[in-house]
Order: sequence, then structure tokens, then C-alpha cells
Amino acid sequence: MIDRLSVLCFAGTYSLALLAELARFVVRSSVRWYLTAGLMALGWLVQTAFLANLALKNPLMPPVTSAFESVMVLSWIVALIGLYLMVRSPKPVAVGIFVLPLVIGLVIVAGWFAPRQSDWLQWGGTVAFWGTVHGIFLLGGAVFSCVAFFAGLMYLAQMRRLKGKRPSRFGLALPSLEQSERINRGSITLAFPLLTFGLLIGMVLSVAVRSQSNEAPAHALTWTDPKVLSALAMWLVFAVLLHARFRPAMRGKSVMVLTIVAFGFLVFTWVGVEALRLPTAHGAPKTPVRITRP
Amino acid sequence: MRLLALGVDHRSAPAPVREALAFDGTKCTEGLDLLVRAFPDNEFVILSTCNRVEIYVAGSPEQVPETDALTDLLVKFHGVKSEFFSGHLVSYHDEGAIGHLFRVAASLESLVLGEGQILGQVRDAYQAATARKTVGPTFHTVFQNALRVGKLVRERTGMEQGKLSVASVAVDLAKDVFDSFADKTVLVIGAGKMGELTLQHLKALKPRQILVTNRDSERAERVAARWNGQVVPFDHLGQALITADLVISTTAAAEPVVTLEQYLRVQRARRNRLALILDIAIPRDFDPRIGELDQVMLYHVDDLRAQAEQNRLERQKSIDPALAIIERETAACFARLRHQHEAGVLLLQLGNHADQIRQRELATLFATRPDLTEADRDAVAHMAMRLQNQFLHNPRAAVRLAVAEPHHDHSQPHPVITFVRHIFGLGDRPQNSLKRL
Repeated sequence: MIDRLSVLCFAGTYSLALLAELARFVVRSSVRWYLTAGLMALGWLVQTAFLANLALKNPLMPPVTSAFESVMVLSWIVALIGLYLMVRSPKPVAVGIFVLPLVIGLVIVAGWFAPRQSDWLQWGGTVAFWGTVHGIFLLGGAVFSCVAFFAGLMYLAQMRRLKGKRPSRFGLALPSLEQSERINRGSITLAFPLLTFGLLIGMVLSVAVRSQSNEAPAHALTWTDPKVLSALAMWLVFAVLLHARFRPAMRGKSVMVLTIVAFGFLVFTWVGVEALRLPTAHGAPKTPVRITRP
Repeated sequence: MRLLALGVDHRSAPAPVREALAFDGTKCTEGLDLLVRAFPDNEFVILSTCNRVEIYVAGSPEQVPETDALTDLLVKFHGVKSEFFSGHLVSYHDEGAIGHLFRVAASLESLVLGEGQILGQVRDAYQAATARKTVGPTFHTVFQNALRVGKLVRERTGMEQGKLSVASVAVDLAKDVFDSFADKTVLVIGAGKMGELTLQHLKALKPRQILVTNRDSERAERVAARWNGQVVPFDHLGQALITADLVISTTAAAEPVVTLEQYLRVQRARRNRLALILDIAIPRDFDPRIGELDQVMLYHVDDLRAQAEQNRLERQKSIDPALAIIERETAACFARLRHQHEAGVLLLQLGNHADQIRQRELATLFATRPDLTEADRDAVAHMAMRLQNQFLHNPRAAVRLAVAEPHHDHSQPHPVITFVRHIFGLGDRPQNSLKRL
């Protein structure tokens, strides 16, 4: 309960920052920008303290051992990137409108839908080490996927305005199409190998664990596990996306829409399977006894 | 203290009158020098742009020249008859002069509402006058406030948002599509006037290459030479379109120069890179269906005009909020000048009052002690002076600081001024100080 209150604390601060950002349509003062940036920075600091506290509970492992921790760290990194882009871009550029809902969404997903247990730590030793590496790679891939996602959204919004031949609204400047496209391309190019390596490590780990799991064979991942199937589908979408990035005919809108689809797959694979309580052995303990973290 | 703004602008005077009265180049410095010589003990700033020529004067009510005297000086300086321009002169006084300057700085008085140049021109005028030492405390306050208000109005109302000319709208569009222009090629098809005007604006973005093509190769060469571009034979239009990222088309052709089928081939050869096409020709040079292609932004001149018109309407919506800001700031600035004046009068009174006491006491002392040598008297007088200055240092500093406070309610006398006046027994403040600064 206290844990959820803490999450609510920085999610609320981010929400206030989003409200201040949305006020750009009516409030024409630079004070509004400083308020938005200040609230976002405050939210980020509170979240940093929350994550630091989480890391101190298990100092030997980085806080990426459960879906809850990973998505929380992901939202923390995305918030930092958003804050950086906000400070670097001219004030009329509406970075916050795209980044803040994503950050809030990730925090909500982590706080309310992602499983908090990390039972697989019970395996210990090499499995725990490579499991953490697997998590870090996937986290890196997810960070770049998020950046690609909001660059794609900004591209589509700008494209829609330009195709509709509408003048830009006061205080709602967007990056140029070329800039959004470049950020999207760069992020996809970096996200794909990270996700691939992450998934490969996961697969190898799964095979290794299956050979060790004499005590609880039901707790080893199989090829028909929903998590595995979903991860493979996600990888395929990312592969198509990467291919599309280098196919001239698919430049522009199609790639951006595909980026959004790929991001949806990523979120589903990461937290959707557990949130929907699909039967998966991903992250299961060595023995049938469930371990809860202190 | 009085303030006067006298001059002509695009509303009151035609261009020949404004040109005849302009203080461009060294004339501004010469004009300021002449004004100071003719009307000493006043502050002067000359604002001279292509749309306005204005002289701002501040000084004591007795010293500030009347408009007739300034008109005579303009006649003498520019060598024109007064009948030529005197009917076009417009003057503003005191608070009205401050309000006018604020409206000018906020570009509400500009020919193109919300244009950005005027703020820089006001700054230049103020700096030129500061360099010639024709600006004193009054105009430092007024012009610094004018620059601040000009910025504030733009920030709060978005007055400078959105361009008003077709060419400027085109530049904004180019910036919305492309991030950098150092690797971009601009292609100009035809040699129309509008196309050249647009190219002139786009040239400021420093594209890598400018290509010009026209059925009349001589005209193409002339345009290319003017803009440092390369001529492409009209037969090679397809190839030029493949190279180009930004196209400006202004031919007088009766039929579209580029059809959808042709451009589909071009776009395939361009590997579907982003393209911005500005079709400024009437009738159209590009098939409108080309604009439906994914990576192609096709804008016709009517689209550009519609955006410019929409921007103009948006700017007009900003006028009322801008005027409200200016009204508030004018009142605050005028009141601050009034308080500065009051503080000046108070400090003078305070100094005189202390001098009187010091001199009276020294005279009494020297009368009772005739045995004091000249050196002793000098030493005592010097010590008395230093004591006086040290005693008055803090009250003086407090008064100066009080009138510089930005958030004080200027409708009331400042409590520090009232307090100092009261404890030093200087009586009530002069009754006329609120009426005339």
C-alpha cells in the first residue's frame, strides 16, 4: 500500500507537469514552461529516490529483476530523456505533450499491472547473472523503442498538420519531419540489436534452466509459452520495422505506424502477458514455493 | 518633467515625406548633436525607420521645446519647407508619448502588424542616443521599459507568430519539413517574380545547391546568376526533380508541367525522400494529386495565401490583449518616472536642508571661537561635511532603492519617501509633482 502511494506521488507530479504542459494552448507565458520543466524534474527526482530505495533493498542486483522494476526504470529513463529534450529544444516545441503521457502510462502499467515478484532470483549464480544481463539488454531496447515511439507520434502529428495545410498553433511547435524521422530511424536501429541480444540471452538461459530444472520442470519455459510466442512476434515486428526503415517505398507514415505497432507488441510482451494472467513460466522460481522479496 | 514624441509614420505621411525627414546613417548622430546644441538640458532619442521618423524629447517643462521649435529645426536640418511635412506631423505628450513608444516597440504601430524588426530598431535608436550621451535617467527608464514591453507583448500574445507574406510562409514550411538545409537542393522552375521573391527568402536558409530551369534558357541564366545557382536545361527537368528536395515552380504554362505519373517515377528514383513543392504558378504546374503522395508536401500559392491570411487574423486577435498589457505598463512606467522625479526633488531638498544646518552651525562655532586658525576651520568644516554625508548616506540609498522597486504600488506616494520627508522635517511633497511628473 505504502509502495503504491509512493508511485502515486511521482505519477501525480508527472500528471501535474502534463497539465502544465497542456496549458500551453491557453497560457502564453514562459512561466508555464518553467513550471512544466520544474514539475517534471521534481517528479523525476522523487522517482529517483524511489528507485534508489528499491535498489538498496537488494544491493547486489540492479533494479531490473521484475517487470515492475524494469518498467519503472524504463519510465525513469524516458522521463530523463524527455526532460533533456525539453530543455534542449526551443520553448514552443511541445516535447512534453508526447513524452509525459508515455512516462505516466509506463508508471501506471508498472505500478498497477506489472508483477512485483522476481521469483527467478531463487535460481541464483550464473542464471541470476545472465537473467539480469537479459533484463538490461531488453531495457536498453525498450528505451530506444520508446524514443522511436514518441518520435513517430511527433512525425505523424506534424505530417497531419502539413498535409491538412493548417498553420501551426501558437505554442505547439513540433520538430521538423526530417528531424523526427532521423530520431526514429536512429532509435529503431539501436533498439533492434539490443532486443535481439536480450531475447537470445533469454532463449539460451531458458534452455540452460530447462536442463537444470529437475525439481520443477513445469517451471521451465517452452516454445509454446505465451511469453515466448509474444516475444517472437515482437521480434518479428521489429525485424520488419528495421527492414522497412531501409526500404524507400516504406519511408514516412508507414514506418511510423509500424513503430507504434512494434511499441504495442513490446508493452504487451513485457507486462501484458502477466497482467492478463496468461499461463507463463517466465521468471518462475526453481521450486514451486513462491518467493516474495522483503 | 515633460515628455514629447513628435514625428511622422506610415499612417500620417506618404513615403516621400518620410524619406525627406529620415535620419539615416550619420544623419542620426548629427541630428542628435544639433538637438542637444539647440535645446540643451533635454534628453533626446531619434527613431528613424522606413516607416517612421520620430524625435523623443524629455526635460523640465520650461526646457522641452515646443513642436514649432522642433519643426523649425527639422526644416533647417533637412533643408525642406515646413509646409511639405508639418501637416503630417503627429505629436504625443507625457503619458501618451510613453504609450506610443510602447505600441511602436510592440509593433502595434507597424505597417505589418507583429513584425519583429521594430524592436531591434528601437534598441538601435536608444543605443545610438546613449552613445551620443543624449539620454538621461528619464529615457533610460522609458526605453528600457519599451524594450521589455515589446518582448513581453510578443511573448504573451504570440503576436509575431506565423508569417504574413507568401514567401515567409514558404520559409516556415521548409523549416517544418527539413531540419537542415546544408545538404538540400532547391529547384526553381520558371522565372516568375513571385518565385524569385520566395527564393530570396529561402536563400537565407543556405541550401547546398540552387538549380534553375526555364524554357527560355537566357532567363534561366539571368536568374541563376542572380542567386548563384546552376542552370539545368528544361529537357532535364525530370533529372533535376530527382535531385531537388525543395521545388519552387512559377511557369506560365497553361497545362501542368509535372503529372502524377511523371512524379511517381521521380519519387521512386528519389528513393521516396521528403520533398516540398511550392507551386506558385497559376494555373498549377504540378498535378494536385502529387500532394497525396506519402513523403511529398505540395503547396499551391492559394494554400500559402490562405495560411498568411489566417496568420494575419490570428495576429489581429492579439491586439486587444496587447493593448491591455501596454496600458498597464504605460501607467506603471509613468508612475515610476513620477516617483523618480519626486525622489530627485526629495534628495535635493534633503541635501539643501543639511547644507543649511551645517553652514549655520559652522558659522555659530566660528563666531564663538575667533581664535581658531584657518587650518582648524578648514578641518572642522571638512569633518562637518563628512559627518553630513555619512548621516545622509543611508536615507539617500533607501530613497533611491525605494523608487527602483518594480512592484511598488505607483498610485500612492512611496512610504520610504514619505517617511524620510517626515523625519527630516522637509514638509509635505510638492503638490504639483503628481500632476506633472
